[in-house]
Amino acid sequence: MPGHITHSASFRDPSGFVFLKKGIVYRQVNHSYAADYELLMQSGLYQRLTEEKLLIPHTEVDENLTGSPHWYKTLLPQQLFFISYAYEWSFSQLKEAADLTLKILEIAIAYGMCLKDANSFNIQFHEGALVLIDTLSFEKYDASRPWVAYRQFCESLLFPLYLSHYLKTDLQKWLVVYPEGIPVALISRLLPAKSRLSLGSWLHVYLQNRIRSDNPVGNRSVSFTREKMQTLTRHLRSEVSRMTLSGVAISPWSNYYDETILGGGYLHEKEIIFRAFLEGIDFGSALDIGANNGYFSKILAGAGKNVIAIDSDHQCIDSLYRSVCGNTDGTIIPLCADIANPSPAIGFRNTERPSFIQRAKADLVSALAITHHLALGKNIPLERIAGLLADLTNSYLIVEYVPLTDKMAQQLIKVKSQYHSPYDEPTFENSFSHYFVIERKSRIPGTERVLYRMRKC
Amino acid sequence: MKVLLLYIDPGSGSYLVQMIIAGVLGTLFYFKNMWRRIKSFFGKTKEKDLPKNNH
Repeated sequence: MPGHITHSASFRDPSGFVFLKKGIVYRQVNHSYAADYELLMQSGLYQRLTEEKLLIPHTEVDENLTGSPHWYKTLLPQQLFFISYAYEWSFSQLKEAADLTLKILEIAIAYGMCLKDANSFNIQFHEGALVLIDTLSFEKYDASRPWVAYRQFCESLLFPLYLSHYLKTDLQKWLVVYPEGIPVALISRLLPAKSRLSLGSWLHVYLQNRIRSDNPVGNRSVSFTREKMQTLTRHLRSEVSRMTLSGVAISPWSNYYDETILGGGYLHEKEIIFRAFLEGIDFGSALDIGANNGYFSKILAGAGKNVIAIDSDHQCIDSLYRSVCGNTDGTIIPLCADIANPSPAIGFRNTERPSFIQRAKADLVSALAITHHLALGKNIPLERIAGLLADLTNSYLIVEYVPLTDKMAQQLIKVKSQYHSPYDEPTFENSFSHYFVIERKSRIPGTERVLYRMRKC
Repeated sequence: MKVLLLYIDPGSGSYLVQMIIAGVLGTLFYFKNMWRRIKSFFGKTKEKDLPKNNH
């Protein structure tokens, strides 16, 4: 049947697949998964998980929209605003995703089902919280078998947490290189010696690596029990909960607004102009680039909008996530992303996981106090910056011009031998005029900085 | 034999690991529980504080 597009990342699981039709995302359940799907729905597990906002809710559509001979059911899940990946999450986000997976597993077992998949791609932000989006991840629980997704859980969720915990730095970006998780052979070489003193990391990393090496034929006849499964999941949850990034050096961006000249009056004046710029324009979604502590993301979300807040600083995003987690009135999705080097497209045929730029379209883009970092700090010509921002917005842009005379701009060029010149207000406006029409312009009182509201041509 | 490893599901061996992990954790829990009972016998811990699950 024409008119549907199978999602580029949905081909591994024979139980069904995700497809798009007229811009709406559906999930097909295949005949081969019928028994497990009915168990999920009839056992009360689906109801329990959706009531607790752990699983994405769906409605059934009684129509074969793909024309597939394997069709059993069509599901219409609640639509997600944005798809993000673990390599864009902060430590707390990854930790919560790991705990969510184990919590769902524990509940599923109580209802006679088990998770057959446990990777981070199945977890997404929805209405202010992380939820499992893969409704077909469940299968009938066989108490005599250990957890089939244990290795997957370790490599994609537990091991990245171990790395951050023991090395005290954010290492999620490594998941771009290892999208299916950090291999046990690699992490066993990366973790510091002190990790061997912990029972948890010794069992899940070093013992697992040893057995992997010594028992290539593995999965020989084993007998497991429900009690053993509960012991394992309880232990994994306690391992996840002990993971911490405390002790990591504070980044210079963490208290940027509070500790620099940018605090107090400047921020207040900027907020007044920013709010005035938002009046009279219609937008459904926003992308806040260089969000820092989310001051302006929260203003955007306060208007009931969905906001993607990005910053290259992991600590800012982690702190923002902790402050907005569970907030459903206007959703902020905080993500670690460097706009000068955003996540690439990866996976099978480079289409399985689209790049950040491919995904991050918003009606309004806010780029406050960021262009001077790109132009002066990274030597990106103003016109290219304008082109990037034009790619990201559907309609509006609120952008701040920071002149060379500004103290922060001076700091950027102090140690530089060259940058693209001229860098001045007319050049800034001219560069952006290739892509935008300037609708509003306002100098921030007490500074030489200028705020613009532009509309895409 | 080494080359054959390339054709084995990377999840192989994880069942055995889980068997051992569950065994180790179960044993530790057993001894921990026993130690608490001994302490309880000598009056250092109240019986009602002891965990009921002793697998």
